[in-house]
Amino acid sequence: MMTRAEALRLASRATVVVAICVVGVAAIFVRALVFTPIERAQGPAQKIFYVHVPSAWVALMAFSITGLLSIGYLWLKDRRLDTAAAASAEVGVVFSVILLITGPIWGKAVWGTWWQWEARLTSTLFLFLLFVGYLLLRGTIIDHDMRARFSAVIGILGMVLVPFIHMTVYLFRTIHPQPVVLKPSGPTLPGSMLITLLSSFGVFTVLYLAMVTARYALATLEDLKERELHHVA
Amino acid sequence: MSPDNGAYMIAGYVVTAVVVGGYALWLVLRLRRLR
Amino acid sequence: MSDLVSAALTIAAKDIRIEWRTRTAVISALVFAILVLSILYVARDATAVPALALAPSALWVTFSFAAMIGLNRAFLTENELGAMDAIRLSGVSPSALFLGKFGSNLAFVGAVEGFGIPIFVLFYDVPIGVHLPALLLVTVMTTVAFVSVGTLLSAMVVQTRFAEVMLPVLLLPFLIPPVVAAVHLTAVLLGGRPLSAGLGWLKLLAAFDVAFVTLSTLLFEATLSE
Repeated sequence: MMTRAEALRLASRATVVVAICVVGVAAIFVRALVFTPIERAQGPAQKIFYVHVPSAWVALMAFSITGLLSIGYLWLKDRRLDTAAAASAEVGVVFSVILLITGPIWGKAVWGTWWQWEARLTSTLFLFLLFVGYLLLRGTIIDHDMRARFSAVIGILGMVLVPFIHMTVYLFRTIHPQPVVLKPSGPTLPGSMLITLLSSFGVFTVLYLAMVTARYALATLEDLKERELHHVA
Repeated sequence: MSPDNGAYMIAGYVVTAVVVGGYALWLVLRLRRLR
Repeated sequence: MSDLVSAALTIAAKDIRIEWRTRTAVISALVFAILVLSILYVARDATAVPALALAPSALWVTFSFAAMIGLNRAFLTENELGAMDAIRLSGVSPSALFLGKFGSNLAFVGAVEGFGIPIFVLFYDVPIGVHLPALLLVTVMTTVAFVSVGTLLSAMVVQTRFAEVMLPVLLLPFLIPPVVAAVHLTAVLLGGRPLSAGLGWLKLLAAFDVAFVTLSTLLFEATLSE
């Protein structure tokens, strides 16, 4: 594990990047709200797209990374992998919250109903609940080794579950907007909107990385403090 | 004419700001306590 | 390979024998299943929701919950008696232990379903007749799905402080694909259509079974504390 000094240094650097990204997010807001044209059919509410879709991307990425780090932990038994996996899961949950609230808001504006049991919202909801369960489970286990092993099991199971949930909901008809960006024929978003979306993706991704790093540093510092207390006691 | 749903847009952005800002703040405050 | 199978069978047989002595748990689970089926039948607007429309969901919600009751107990005795260490020391491989537990849990849930299905047919006035073998196939495949993950998860949560609540919380997301598939397939069969009408769902269920039985067997070792 890192020394306290190393962890503090990592924490400082990470928080600086987080702060920069928060400013970046604000800049994206300005660009999206003021400088990006309104979509005619859906109206201003469509602009939620620029925060909703990147949040979805981050959540999915976060949970996949948790899964991969979980495999890494069971293979290499390096506790830092578990710490990183948990950090990623927590940040994933945070972005899932954004996704699960902005989704219905957008849905109400455009579809007329707050919720639809369709493909992507449903998948995200279950993934969110699974990873909340992951974090809750960690909360109930005191022994670090057991906590790491059990978390890894859930992380891996969760990762394998994702495609099955997708397939399940795919076998339903979906009214979710069809992908406009990642189509084989190329993006069909007009230029200005595409730039806003891609910038948003960029900022959110860097924000995710910075938040995970900061969370990792925090967890490491908390572990170090706990060890300190045990030695004194 | 586009539908008049600006309120939803604002709501969506406010939620995003609160969650991103809130979590970032929480991280900073927790780290500060352990300094 | 045959070591694995015989060890697993021994463990499964032991558990089944222990349960058979009192039969309390399996009978309680069955009573629970009957109650849930009844409540779901009665607690609906009969003018808006015909029994047959509700039937597939009612069946699978009931069986999922009954299975969770059974699974909660799966490792309870071992945990209470510290018997896990003894089993490990006897040289049984984790995979054999898992498969043995998996087997006895399947037997438990299977027993509940075996009595539950006729009662379901009775209560919901279900025209099952010709499609019974297909329904049994769907039942077996779905049960394998949730018992495999459920056995793995119950091995973990029994070692934590909030086992009874954590098992459902962790397990339910994993029940979505098999239960949704089962409900659709059951609806297909009850509607008099052949199983092939739900081929997509059947493939999903089969893929889920293969993936999660394998994964659970492999991951089980990580749940055992040194």
